[in-house]
Amino acid sequence: MSTKEQRERIELLQGTLDLLILRTLVRGPVHGHAIAKAIEFNSDDVLQVEQGSLYPALHRLIKRKWISVEEGTSENNRRAKFYRLTAAGRRQLAAETSKWDKMAGAIARILRPAEQEGE
Amino acid sequence: MKKRERMMKDLEEDIREHIETETQDNIARGMSPEEAHYAAMRKFGNVMRVEEDTRDVWSFVWLEQFGQDIHYAFRMLRKSRGFTAVAVLTLALAIGATTAIFSVVYGVLLQPLPYTDSNRIMSVFEVNSGGTWSRVADPNFDDFRDQSRSFQSIAKYHADIASVSGASEPTRTTVAAVSPGFLKVLGVQPILGRDFGAGDAKKGAGPTVLVSYGYWRQYLGSSRDLAQSHLKIDGGLFSIVGVLPSGFRFPADVDLWLPADLDGENPSRTSHNYSVVGRLRDGTTVQQANLDISAIARRIHDTSSEQGDYLLKDGIVVPLQDAITGKARSSLLLLLGAVGFLLLVACANVANLLLAQASVRERELAIRSALGAARGRLVRQYFTEAFLLALLGGSLGVLGAFWGLAGLVALAPENLPRLESVSINIPVLVFALVLSTAVAAGLGAFIAARATSGELRKGLVEGGRGQAGLQGSQRVGRVIVAAQIAITLVLVVGAGLFGRSLMKVLEVNPGFRVDKIVTMDVSLPWVDDPKAKAGQAIFFSNLIDRLKQIPGVRKVGATSGLPMDGGLPDGMFLLMTQNEIPKTTDGFGPLLQQKERIGNADFCVATDGYFQVLEIPLIRGRIFDGRDGANSPHVAVISESLARERWPNQDPIGHTIEFGNMDGDLRLLTIVGIVGDTHEYGLDAPPRPTVYVDLLQRPHAAITLTMLSDADMRSVASAARGILQNLNPEVAAKFQTFSQVYSTSLGSRRFNVILIGFFGITALLLATAGVFGVMAYSVSRRTREIGVRVALGAAPSGILRMILGQGLRTIFIGVAIGIAASLALTRTVQSLLFGVTATDPVTFGGVTLLLVGAALLACYIPARRATKVDPMVALRHE
Repeated sequence: MSTKEQRERIELLQGTLDLLILRTLVRGPVHGHAIAKAIEFNSDDVLQVEQGSLYPALHRLIKRKWISVEEGTSENNRRAKFYRLTAAGRRQLAAETSKWDKMAGAIARILRPAEQEGE
Repeated sequence: MKKRERMMKDLEEDIREHIETETQDNIARGMSPEEAHYAAMRKFGNVMRVEEDTRDVWSFVWLEQFGQDIHYAFRMLRKSRGFTAVAVLTLALAIGATTAIFSVVYGVLLQPLPYTDSNRIMSVFEVNSGGTWSRVADPNFDDFRDQSRSFQSIAKYHADIASVSGASEPTRTTVAAVSPGFLKVLGVQPILGRDFGAGDAKKGAGPTVLVSYGYWRQYLGSSRDLAQSHLKIDGGLFSIVGVLPSGFRFPADVDLWLPADLDGENPSRTSHNYSVVGRLRDGTTVQQANLDISAIARRIHDTSSEQGDYLLKDGIVVPLQDAITGKARSSLLLLLGAVGFLLLVACANVANLLLAQASVRERELAIRSALGAARGRLVRQYFTEAFLLALLGGSLGVLGAFWGLAGLVALAPENLPRLESVSINIPVLVFALVLSTAVAAGLGAFIAARATSGELRKGLVEGGRGQAGLQGSQRVGRVIVAAQIAITLVLVVGAGLFGRSLMKVLEVNPGFRVDKIVTMDVSLPWVDDPKAKAGQAIFFSNLIDRLKQIPGVRKVGATSGLPMDGGLPDGMFLLMTQNEIPKTTDGFGPLLQQKERIGNADFCVATDGYFQVLEIPLIRGRIFDGRDGANSPHVAVISESLARERWPNQDPIGHTIEFGNMDGDLRLLTIVGIVGDTHEYGLDAPPRPTVYVDLLQRPHAAITLTMLSDADMRSVASAARGILQNLNPEVAAKFQTFSQVYSTSLGSRRFNVILIGFFGITALLLATAGVFGVMAYSVSRRTREIGVRVALGAAPSGILRMILGQGLRTIFIGVAIGIAASLALTRTVQSLLFGVTATDPVTFGGVTLLLVGAALLACYIPARRATKVDPMVALRHE
């Protein structure tokens, strides 16, 4: 068993960031910095998100009308932009999640055929 | 744009806020403010790039991605050069052939006639008792003109060839006699001079003529002073009053227009001499005009004294364009259908190639998909590649169409109307573009649906083992091949039926010899005066005598109508004895009512030499000879079919007939001989009963001389031209060989056979390649499986049977569908066939064998390869 320190931090696959953002927004509107923190925290810091790359992704999602943006106040009482999941975004999240599950399973089977057959 | 600016401003704020928050967090963790800010910046990454990427989100990304797709597609096409070359060439061939055929269809059938509001211009015909349409007799035309309310203007016209002199050189020119208003109907005005006025058409008016732009340039030196120019047309002197615009030549090939009926109208209601055109009044429909004309025609029918088969029964109005192109329509649409089939077969081949190509790329796509490429993006990639292929193929095809069209026009039968308006023009190019786009969309949709259906994703799961490999894709491949075989079978059956029709036509004995005959068309002015007519007879007699002197010329004859060259006039003759002859043709009416007295035949003026040159056999009696002078009793020779039809179980020789309604000479004709039938109207038309009269007794102004000659046409023609020049310098002649005339008559049949044959053979090659491709691919995918079978003891013959059996199933399904489709479709071309039925078992059997043979061969090669699979190599494979 490897320890957390020994693990390499891996870069996100293209397209997955969108999925993670959508997932993060399920619990309610969040501002940009908090989204980055949540992704890092929830992935045990394995996924290395260059925080800046969050923003083009957010704007892409806005453009596709999967999320909306609104003004709000952050926890330390500063003005901030809050991102909120739309109904279309919720549907997209569901579809992408199931797609992802299939894909991950398929890749896993290729990469470890022996384990699969052994089970 | 405004939105983009707003979003970018928001972004800046957001980033500032983000870094600030992160810095605060870091300070909370115990960093110095400076350190905290630095760490936050590092963690955030390159602010510039983030802004750049976000800006891209709000810019026209699709345009950029389109560029990427094209770039990527080009790279793919370049990488698999063989695939690209085959696919592009296949598409180029099919799109090029379709475009070329479409250009003919467009030019002949679709393009509006080049006249103002040409869809308002109608043709008017008489309908006779048999339901066929014919031209209009003078008094009937007058009634149509005076009584109908549907036309702004209506006019009659009739074109004929005349000898014209007075310009820079004597010519044989097509001249149209037209009634006033002709140009008004067509919406054309002279560019120089004036149109005919009422005065020009009056009986006895000073003869006037309008000339075509081309004639004016070539023979009148573009002189603007028309008053100085006169033309001698068939002996009469005409003043030129106007020049018509460039490009105007209606009816076809006409260069001179003169007023009709300068000698008065023909009072007969059964002499169908004139074509009629009219321009519809605004707001009048074709149906209204039809009701109008039909009512007038039936009124004429009910009240006329000239009852009989030749009197009109009804009238009909059709758009001029349809009247001109009527006969060509079915043949051209047939060719368009055939080339459409070829296009389908070609597309099927390319679809199969794409399918194979897609499965080669399955892993690449699976990985791209795994790496987050959206399905839409992959679909777009496929479409981009299909578009690139189709546009490359289409461009190449259009280039090929330019070249192919030249060949088509050269090959086209002479009787194809409006051939001069056929070209690769803007509408044709638009058609090619739309066609390429449709092909691209079809192929793109097909391959995108196949490739992203999930089946390919399985490819990733199955890894590179590629044994079962895409069962689904192979099934689709086989369906495509079966469809290809079916379509090809229809095409080749069509080609076979037309080919066999042509062969049957060529087997028909025309009834005359064709080779070594030089023909010479000469026309003298039309005259009524018996003395002048006799003079013409002497002229021709002299001409024939002198032509016989030309070295190499063995025999010379003359006729008013060469077989397969436009036909002869036909009419009703009367069986009569000497003391029954009426004084004028008016007395014929009652006699024509007596069924037992009348017969129906073509009327041909000829000389004895004509029968000798064409080797039309004498069955009984004699042909014309020295006894038959101008003043001796007039004689006739009749064709075998007339003898059989009119005098069954009797000897017609010695009977006398009255056929003066054809040439105005009421002297009786005594039948002296019976000759063999000739296929006057083409080999595929039955011989017409014919009455031949002697040129020396019944002179005729327009004559074709026939010379049986061992010398070549050019030397005979130049000698003959000299002789004619000597006899009468105002008369021009046109020379041809009889073989040319004869072969022209087969032109449209040959055209169909060559084109459909070409499409059929091409489709056959494509379909064979398709079968081969699918089978070879299937075998290569099954190498491992076959290896296992061989390892387990399967004999090579078993493997061969297995692979062939799989191929045969596909082939038979295709053939079965193809035969069913052919049976349904060939019915529609029955009228274009000759001597074979649309379900000709020989054609169907032969074509099926040919196709199955070719397809089996295409299966056999990969099947052989399968038997050579070395199990060790196959199992180690990969």
